Amino acid sequence: MTSSIRTFAVPLAVVVALVAGFGFTRPAQDKIDTATPPALVASYNSLADAILAVKATEANLVRAMLDGGHAHAKALLAQAQAAIDAGKKDEAKLRIESLAALVAQLGAEGDNAVAGVRKRLLDGGHHHNAEGEKQGLYEPGYVIVTKTAKANLLAASKAIAQVASAPDKAALDKAWASVDSAWAEISKAR
Amino acid sequence: MRRTLGASLLVIAFAGCGEEAPRPATVSGARATTPATEASPFDFVDVAAEAGLERVTWAGRPGKDHLLDSAGTGVAFLDFDRDGTLDVFVVNGWRLDGSTLVERGRHALYRGEGGGRFRDVTDAAGVGGNGSWGAAVAVADQDGDGWPDLLVTAFGGLQLFRNRGDGTFADVAPQIGLVAPGWNTGAAFLDADRDGDLDLYVAAYIACSEADVLAAQRTLDWKGQERVAFGPFGLVGAPDHFFKLDAGGRYVDETEPAGLRDQALGFGFGARALDYDRDGDTDLFVANDSDANYLYRNDGAGHFEEVGLWSGVAFDSSGASQACMGIAAGDATGDGLDDLFVSNFSEDHCTLYRAEPGGLFEDVSAAVGISGPTYLPLSWGSALADLDCDGDLDLVIVNGHIYPQVDAHPEHGMSYRQTPLLLENRGGRFADVSAQAGPGFTTARAGRGLAVGDYDDDGDLDLLMSQLDGPPVLLRNDSRGGAWLVVACEVPPGGGPLLGTRVTVAVGGRVQSRDVASGDSYASSHDPRAHFGFGELPGGTVDEVRVSWPDGTESVLRDVPARQILRVVKGSR
Repeated sequence: MTSSIRTFAVPLAVVVALVAGFGFTRPAQDKIDTATPPALVASYNSLADAILAVKATEANLVRAMLDGGHAHAKALLAQAQAAIDAGKKDEAKLRIESLAALVAQLGAEGDNAVAGVRKRLLDGGHHHNAEGEKQGLYEPGYVIVTKTAKANLLAASKAIAQVASAPDKAALDKAWASVDSAWAEISKAR
Repeated sequence: MRRTLGASLLVIAFAGCGEEAPRPATVSGARATTPATEASPFDFVDVAAEAGLERVTWAGRPGKDHLLDSAGTGVAFLDFDRDGTLDVFVVNGWRLDGSTLVERGRHALYRGEGGGRFRDVTDAAGVGGNGSWGAAVAVADQDGDGWPDLLVTAFGGLQLFRNRGDGTFADVAPQIGLVAPGWNTGAAFLDADRDGDLDLYVAAYIACSEADVLAAQRTLDWKGQERVAFGPFGLVGAPDHFFKLDAGGRYVDETEPAGLRDQALGFGFGARALDYDRDGDTDLFVANDSDANYLYRNDGAGHFEEVGLWSGVAFDSSGASQACMGIAAGDATGDGLDDLFVSNFSEDHCTLYRAEPGGLFEDVSAAVGISGPTYLPLSWGSALADLDCDGDLDLVIVNGHIYPQVDAHPEHGMSYRQTPLLLENRGGRFADVSAQAGPGFTTARAGRGLAVGDYDDDGDLDLLMSQLDGPPVLLRNDSRGGAWLVVACEVPPGGGPLLGTRVTVAVGGRVQSRDVASGDSYASSHDPRAHFGFGELPGGTVDEVRVSWPDGTESVLRDVPARQILRVVKGSR
């Protein structure tokens, strides 16, 4: 607020308050109405609808992003398995590493670009594992993936990556099984 | 091509580590230490003042109203005049009083005079700076002329002090394309595309202007008790930069084409170049404050892919981002692979990522005893170094809180000034021996930068630290230690970069290795010589010293006497 606006704002507010007070004055025998004017409550209600809708939209957007990532991951899994079957080790390695990246992104509710957007919505401060933060169900800013699911998916991602150096179908299937179970938990919760 | 180097040996000096002396009263820090149960061989004493390191480094306002006030500056060990004695460089910041600029601190270059003394040669050398608020220093022979140059990152740009070889430097940053406005932090030189010259990665923290810094108010609520400096969340991150050196000797910003776009606009503090997957090219690890860390894998042609998210170094073991400040790389676990350590915010543990085959990492902080002693301190400069010359890498960490206001609330067990940590490696587990490591480790400071080097050439590693609003700290290592070897690698002019060289030593079938690399610690540069400890060394010789130069050539020496500074020149026999 500039100083000139501030100069006028204070007396103006006093005048408005006086006029408003005068307008609401009733004869002494009437009950004095202290309730918030209904129009203001209605406006706040509308605003709450909008805020909740925005939050729901954010959750839907993240959910859609995760669904897309999961579908992509399943396709990559199939491609990696096909490459292993065909004895194409280099191609299998590429697919498996990409699969590991996608699974990690599921755990992190998106890649680093998404993280860059998400952190804009966070309150000021540092992110560290202070006791208070540890108690929350979600990482700051996360809306779908819980901390537990995140840890499980990151572990699954690493297990998948471990298969990349020596592609093996059984090992890959085993690693993918933990993705399935973490994904089931996420799906159940939403 | 493999080359076997002949006896190009220089026995410089040896001084036995002194006996442990009675320690004076100490100033308590914030840390609740877990005392080691065994007698400690360590003894570190601050000798900065008597050595002549006295210039104060400024850090904004006393109340630390903006994060820039608390970030501190880096330090470096280097041998700028190539006289065989280490010199010291200290980056400086600004001194503020409210929104008033009181003093633009000048960086300091101290020439090692021998005998443990330094002389301030800043003005003669022309490296005092252009008045910008300094952050980090990276040392490298940037132009390949054989003389180490100085890159200083700053809030307000970059300066590249090119060493003329006559004791003077010239800032050539703008002329060669090194332009990066904003708040630059840690930097690492590396030959990304293996073309024989040094490219450069510069991390950046938050996007803010000088006006923002000067007008800053403490608005962040800390535990419902204090108003402290705001951020980094709630502020916008500044993008990191990658500069590729072209054939004409100019740097070109190739961040995007190299695959190094700072996608999260991470609050970057450190960048460490290393060949983590040992495939012959140099990769990059970037420590971000409160964001996921990056690990950029080099495809060998200078194109990078971010693999941090799935390789295990982006988060801690619980999957949480940490507020990473400093980096230390080295084989902490003794398995032949280089592990990665990050120093973190207070009320969070520092993290050791143990390297595993296949380029993956595992957070083993709790398992190896690092989590406990590092939980309360707010940690910055760090290094994996064999401080007792027993053949494994110990961990040293410099600490200090960013909020002076914590001192009003001792019930939280934290303080603004904090003691450094010395975690001794005992067979892969780390024991906190700080309280038994001499007065250097029991004096609390607002510590930030850390460089490790043997400034007195006595065979053990000394510690150079920066602190906020105070002079540098030089902790002379008077510990009892074992046999040692320092390998000073040199590349003749035009022979390609030194950075990226790996030195491997073998004794009785046991192998240790060090890389000569840029970006370790916080905002600082270590002594570029490779230091090894061996403990008891019957016979007094090292079976083999192998220097693997970045171009694939090797120098191999056998039956090398220990307790010497061994000079190995690329291409000589």
